[in-house]
Amino acid sequence: MIGILICQIVLSVVLAAVFLILPSVTTGAAWKVLAFIGLCVLPALCIVGGMNTHIQRSEQTQFCISCHVMVPYGKSLYVDDPTHISAQHFQNHRVPADMACYSCHADYGIYGPLKDKLQGLTRIYMQYVSTPPNEITIPGGFKNAQCLHCHLGARSFEENQIHAAIMDSLTSNQMSCLTSGCHDTAHDVANLSHKKFWKPVQ
Amino acid sequence: MKLSAIGIQRLLRASSALVIVGLLLEIVSLLWFHPLSFVLFAFVAATLIGLGILVYLVSLVFAATPPTGNRN
Repeated sequence: MIGILICQIVLSVVLAAVFLILPSVTTGAAWKVLAFIGLCVLPALCIVGGMNTHIQRSEQTQFCISCHVMVPYGKSLYVDDPTHISAQHFQNHRVPADMACYSCHADYGIYGPLKDKLQGLTRIYMQYVSTPPNEITIPGGFKNAQCLHCHLGARSFEENQIHAAIMDSLTSNQMSCLTSGCHDTAHDVANLSHKKFWKPVQ
Repeated sequence: MKLSAIGIQRLLRASSALVIVGLLLEIVSLLWFHPLSFVLFAFVAATLIGLGILVYLVSLVFAATPPTGNRN
């Protein structure tokens, strides 16, 4: 996919180079059409394609942990302990392994991807321009909706007696899945040095 | 009319240059796997390409405007 986009960009560059070197050729009708394609249509498509590629790329686990501060969080996905909720999801492919961060941290609302991107840009700003916070926190806390996006409607989740008893509190976000004492170990990056890690075969 | 044609050609050259630089930066941003690559794309490459398109559209407006002497 990225190869097609790069071919399109190269084609645009070649066409634009023609009009940079020989702008006088646009007096002919056919060249005018070509100029419109080369200097308006193709570059606009390149912006759309580029934006799409960058947004898709930012959903990848590798992209998230390419940020220095996120490296321990990426490492925590390999902790060999079933009580670590993020590691358990990642290692058992309960979320796609190549989109592990995004699957649990995405805002699934209608403007979710846009909000996520803006939040990402805020963090880049904090990292390179302002002062990065000592502790990384999720603005507004981790919302149950992110768990329920997959678990709600799943038989094993709904037939669990504890879940069934507190379902209203969970769906209304009154009781947190993570901080109410049930699934309270997510990443635990502070204690990674004492942990045993799972090594995948491939 | 001659002056106008020269102006249009200058605008076309400026538009082409902006588009080329923007597109080359887009290639760099696509090949660079880093959170800053999105910033490079969105705030530099896409802005330059967008400006290039805008300059080209302005040149079209210039080309479509008849010289003052020919107006009725």
